[in-house]
Order: sequence, then structure tokens, then C-alpha cells
Amino acid sequence: MFAGCKYDNYAQPQSVLSGTVGYQGQGIGIRSTVVQLELWQRGFQLFTKIPVNIQQDGTYKALLFDGNYFLTYLKGVGPWVTKTDTVPVTVRGNTVVDFPVEPYYFIKSSSFVKSGTNIVGTMALQQVNTTKTLQAVYIYLSNGTILDGTLKVSSATIAAAAITNPTTAPITITVAIPTSLASNDYLYARVGVQTNGVTELAYGLSQKVALK
Amino acid sequence: MKILYKGLIIIILLVTFSACKKQWLERTPQNIITDAQLWGDPNMITGLLANYYERLPTDMGLDGNWRNMADYDDAMWSGYSGEDGRSNLTYSTGRWQLWDYGLIRDINKAIENIATYSPKGTPLQIATNAQFTAELRFVRAYQYFELVKREGGVPIVTKQLIYDYSGDASPLRNARNKESEVYDFIATEMDAVKDVIGNISGTGVPSQTRANKYTCLALKCRAMLYAGSLAKYNNLMAVPITTTGAEVGIPASMATGYYTKALQAAQDIINSGVYTLYNSTPDKGQNFYDAVCKKGVTNKEVIMARDFLSAKAKRHGFSYDNIARSIREDNLGSSCITPVLNFVEAFDYLDGTPGTLKIRTADNSDYIYYTNMADVFANKDNRLFGSVITPGSTFKGLNVDIQAGVKTWNSVTSSYTTLTSSTLGSTHTDGKLLTGAGGPHASIQEVSNTGFYLKKFVDQGAGTSTRGILSDVWWVRYRLGEIYLNATEAALELGQTSVALPYINAIRQRAGFPANSLDATTLTIDKLRNERRLELAFEDHRVWDLKRWRIADKIWTGSATNPDDVLYALYPYRIIRPGDPLRDGKYVFEKIKAPRFVLPRNFQMNNYYSTIPQSAIDNNPLIVKNPFQ
Repeated sequence: MFAGCKYDNYAQPQSVLSGTVGYQGQGIGIRSTVVQLELWQRGFQLFTKIPVNIQQDGTYKALLFDGNYFLTYLKGVGPWVTKTDTVPVTVRGNTVVDFPVEPYYFIKSSSFVKSGTNIVGTMALQQVNTTKTLQAVYIYLSNGTILDGTLKVSSATIAAAAITNPTTAPITITVAIPTSLASNDYLYARVGVQTNGVTELAYGLSQKVALK
Repeated sequence: MKILYKGLIIIILLVTFSACKKQWLERTPQNIITDAQLWGDPNMITGLLANYYERLPTDMGLDGNWRNMADYDDAMWSGYSGEDGRSNLTYSTGRWQLWDYGLIRDINKAIENIATYSPKGTPLQIATNAQFTAELRFVRAYQYFELVKREGGVPIVTKQLIYDYSGDASPLRNARNKESEVYDFIATEMDAVKDVIGNISGTGVPSQTRANKYTCLALKCRAMLYAGSLAKYNNLMAVPITTTGAEVGIPASMATGYYTKALQAAQDIINSGVYTLYNSTPDKGQNFYDAVCKKGVTNKEVIMARDFLSAKAKRHGFSYDNIARSIREDNLGSSCITPVLNFVEAFDYLDGTPGTLKIRTADNSDYIYYTNMADVFANKDNRLFGSVITPGSTFKGLNVDIQAGVKTWNSVTSSYTTLTSSTLGSTHTDGKLLTGAGGPHASIQEVSNTGFYLKKFVDQGAGTSTRGILSDVWWVRYRLGEIYLNATEAALELGQTSVALPYINAIRQRAGFPANSLDATTLTIDKLRNERRLELAFEDHRVWDLKRWRIADKIWTGSATNPDDVLYALYPYRIIRPGDPLRDGKYVFEKIKAPRFVLPRNFQMNNYYSTIPQSAIDNNPLIVKNPFQ
């Protein structure tokens, strides 16, 4: 009788599935809340996905029950080739599974310095899938660590026509520090690269730049 | 005792046998209506039809989800602060979800039951059955249009699906039809029913609330135009939105066919001569308001409306909710949907120059001073004055009293000191108005936050902004102005600019522009799209137009630096500058981001097609999800 007094007699999931969505082990930076992985599991009455949000540095985490899942991604949303890739995953306790993708252009590395009243970003691009061309590079500034093309305070861009050697030489891009951030102790900066015909940008890491 | 007992038995037997009449066991029920009774009575069927018309969805209106007018870029919310989320809005991927097959089923059932049960002995009965069936098919096609607009291709079901309780539900599962198939279905249905649907009087006057030949043509016209633009513009995207089975995605090759049908349907309506663009009121601003809001057959522009009638207690609170604050007749309410400066500046001047208001000198060193507030809007497209209440104007004969505050000149600092008040209708120390009774105010709820008030659809009748009287202004579904714009767009897309020009110029001439204000070089697609925005504002077109042109995500990018994403206000101030007669007592205007507006409008790829309810997918594994979900 006392056992039936509990409403929910299932134990909560304990196993953490985590990993990196990226190319050759390096996470591809993305716009958070938009790009998603999907987890599917057969064997139950209803068959619908568990959406897994990817953090802006390309890592993901999901808290699951042990079992056999299929890991795939939300098609068409992300700076990589749309393929019907599915990775079978067996979750036993804490499991680490990386999800490889084939990006077009992405940011291999980036760094920032404060130069007078500007922030100067330097980035190195790498191109994997060569079927699409470069459109532009961007730099974004914000007062918070989560920033991207939509969530920013100010930005600057360089179109592909003005970049002579996109993948063989580092690209520098400059943006003025906006008045709303100028009096802060620090701000965050991030660079992004846009491929022609792909909605989402591939980003670098969001980095803190000291202003004082 | 024995006698009494026998007597009782005799009485009981007598009563029982006398009641044992055959008719007693075969009385007709007083509380059940049989199928034969229902479908044999035209009044009953008309009652059902009225219910089905009412169930057709819209994205905005005068009741129901009227507040959605504040969710896009023509207006914002200035009402009760509990709805301020509309200025801080993320469009969810399920925002426009619709899967109301209950209505489809009711219509299919009605059509089948008329065929089965309605008497068909006399020619009149046969004609009545045909008319009802045609009208039901119109409502069904209308509903399919609402479904395909929001979800892409949906299962086309035209008969009742009845479960046989065998344990196997698979005969009831229908896959989604292609997006193009649903549009084609609407067109063929309208062609099939338009000549038997009736509802045109003996003197040739069509009903303005029930389907008739011209509403069929209007629905077909709009649907074919939408299909044509989807076929064209979806395929012009860098990555067209498609599903493998074409549930989403119309082939580009079909665009010409659809545009041709749209143009033909529009011309059939226009050339019939039954409708004319309303142009009877001398004041062209009031005339545009009348073209939409004036009820009855004297308004020969409205093709189909959802009507209200105060005398029969079918009314709505749209005027109570949206009347200008300074002239509200109730003690609460007002000011909810307030047009924004972005919309006001989209209206050109009548000489053809762009509509940006002139509020600063060319070198931006000083304001431009206006003797009367209304002067800043002088010579603008009259559709502005029919849609929006601007500062310095009147409504229902009363001044709307819009003034943000005063600016006093400080000769020491050579600048103005701005003063506003939180008391609406307050007086300044100089004895004149400080802040108007109609605001605008940066934070007070139920007063304009933008400096403008809505006029289109707000009732001009006395007392109609009170909760006691309410309003019966009708909601326009189709009017001739839209048909002219449809014709212009279809002709332009087909390369027939000379066919397009007379239609768009007629619309503009009605708005006060000179005849032939556009020619082949000035009539561009962008110009036409802007005309559509201005003419059909608040009539439930803008978001569907931006979607079918595939520019919604280009205009509403979510960026605080994009002027289309952020909503602006215009705040008028009275100048106090004694000793300077060119400036003292005059009015200046400031353009600011509307203070209550928070999150720039952001339309994303997963907003083009909405989600399908998960329960529908669970029940029917044949249903394919829409892209980006």
C-alpha cells in the first residue's frame, strides 16, 4: 500500500551523454539555441525525437536512461553539409560520443586585442567541403559571453571579395568599441564566417577582452 | 378485501390495455432530430453553414486573436501591460500551427448527408441541394487554403473517414498531399462550384457575407497568386525549402501557370462590373476608411465580410480596446494596437517623394518647426489618414490631443530642456498643454507609446467604444482593392507591365495620387509590395505576403541595428522660446525607438512552415514533418 502512495515510481535518468560536434575533434562554434542534435530511441509506443541543444562552442550534453539510441542532427540548420548521418549510440553510465560533421568554411583559431578604441580580431579559416564559396567574415562584440549574429551589441564585416587568401593567411577584422560598452572593464568578442548559401555561420570561441 | 382486490386488478388491466395503443409505442422523440429531418430543412442547413463560416481561422481580426496586429511591424502594443510580451516576441515554430480537420469532417459529412437524405423530388429541391453543396465546398476550400498557407501540403480528405472498430486504423491514415496539389484542389473546386453557388439577388447584387461566384473567384485569385509566388521565390532562395515528397516546395516551372490563373480570376471579377473601388467620400482619408469599414451594399468594394450586428447582440470590443485614449468613452480600455512610425513613413508623399517625415533640418543642426502638428503629414498618401490617427487630427469630431511634452529654450546652454508629465492632459506652468490627454507616454499602459492611434476598423459611431454598446464594424475577408493588387502582381510577374499599370494606378488614384502616378520604370516589384503593405494593412495579409515572397527572414533579421526590425515612435513637443516668433509656440517632432519595444523582430527559417501537432504524427506515421523541426 505504501509503495502505491508514490505518484512517479521511476528513477530519474542518471547517465550523461556528452561530446563534441566538430571536425577532426575540434568543435565548430555555432549560434546557440538554434542548432540541435536529435536523439531517437526505438522500442516505445511513441517515436519522437529528444532535441539536444548544442552549446555555442560545439559541445553537447544530455541526461538519459541507459539504452540504445540513434544520434542525428536537425537537417538544414548548421554551418555544415546536410547529410543523413546517424550515429548509433549505446549509453551505459557516462558516455562520450563525438558527432563528426563536414563543415564548409570554419574558424580554425581566433584571437583579439584592444587597439585604441577598436577591437582587432585575427582569425585563421579552414575550408573542408569545397562545393560552396565564401560569403563574408564577421566580428561581434557583446557584454555577455553568449554572443552571435543575433545576440550582439555591435558588429563589423568584410565581404569575400576583399579577402585575397581566405584559407592560407590570417584575416584581421576591426570593429569600434560601442559607447554602451566603452566604460566596462571587459567585453566579449567572437568572429564568424559565412558560406554562400548556408544560413548559419561557423563561429570561433567567444573570448573575453579586457578594456582596462 | 377480495372485492377490492378484484376491482384493483380490473382497473389495472383496463388501464394497461387502453394504453396499449400502437401509437404510444411509436411516438416520435421530442428531443432528437433525425438525419432526414435535419437535411430536409433548409433553415437547419443554413444554421450549420453559419457555424462553419464562423470556424474559418484568421491570424488577426476584430475579436479572437485581434491582438496579433501588434506582433509584426505595422503596429505595436500600447495597451494593458500584461500583453507587453508582444514587444518582446520570439516567433515560435508552432505559432501559426493549424490542423483543424474537425471542420473538414463536418463539411464532408454535410455534403454526404445532403446527397443521401435531402429530398430531391422537385427541381427546386435539387437546385437547393446543389447550392448548399456548392457553398459547403467553398468553405472547405477556404479552410484548405488556411491549412496550406501555414503547413504546406496537407492530406486532402473529401469524404468522411469512419472507423470500423476492427482494430486496424490504417485505412484512415492519409499521407500529406503535395503543396501544389492542395492549391490545385482549391482552384478546381472553385471552378466547379462558382456557377451553381448562387447567393446573388434577382437584380444581380451578390451577398456580401455568403459565398457567391465572385467570392469563389476571389479565393481562387488569392490562392493562385500565393502558389505562383511560392513556386517562383522558394526556388530563388540559396537553399529552397523543400521536403523530398514535395509536401513543401512547388516546382519553379509551375509559377507561370499559377500567375496566369490568378490574373484571369482577378480580371473576371474586375471586368464583371459588379464591384467598384469605393470613392464616394470627398475627404480621401475618410474615403479609404469607408472603403473598408462602411457596411452594406452601398459599399460596392467589399466582396466578402464576416459581419456583426449590434441589434442581434453579435458585437465585438475592437473599438473599446483600440479607441484613442483621449476620446475613449469608457473608463477603461483604449490604445491597444498603435501604429508605428515605420509604417507611417512607408506612405509616400502625393508628389511621389519617399515618405520619411521631415523633422530635422538638412544639416541636422535644428528641428523643423511646424505651426500645426498636422502640417508634418501634409500631402501624404491619403491611405495613411484612413488607417492611422495622426497627431493634430480629429476622430469622431474630437481632437485626439497627442503631445509628448514641451521643450523650453535655455539661452545659457543654447539647448532645449525637455519636460514631460505622467499626468495625461496636464497643463504646464505657462497655462498651456504639457502632455496630451492622448499621450504619447513612455510607460503608462493604455495610452499610445508610439504617438499614433489605429483608425482602420475602429468604429466611428457614438458610444461604440463603451463596453455597454460595443461595435459591429465588419471584418473584411475580400475586397476589390486586393483584387486590383493581385492583378497587378500577377501581371508584373508574367512580364505584362502594361497590363499591370492601370490596376495599380487606379488604387493609387483613389488614394489621392494623380492619374498614372507609376509608369513602367517606377513600377517595380518592391514598389508593388509596399503598395500591398499600405493598402491591406491590418487586414491579415502582411505576414503571409512576406512568407510567400521568402523575404520575411531578410526583413525581420533580429538585429537591433536594422531599421525594419526595431519599431519607432514619433513624439511631438511644443516649443517654449519667448522672443523667437519663428519658433515659439510651434511644434517639433522626435523620432525615438518606441520605449516599450524590446526585442527586434526575428523571423527564422523554421517559421516559414509551422509544426504539425505531435498527436497527429503519433496517430498517423505517414505524416512527414515540416523542415527545420
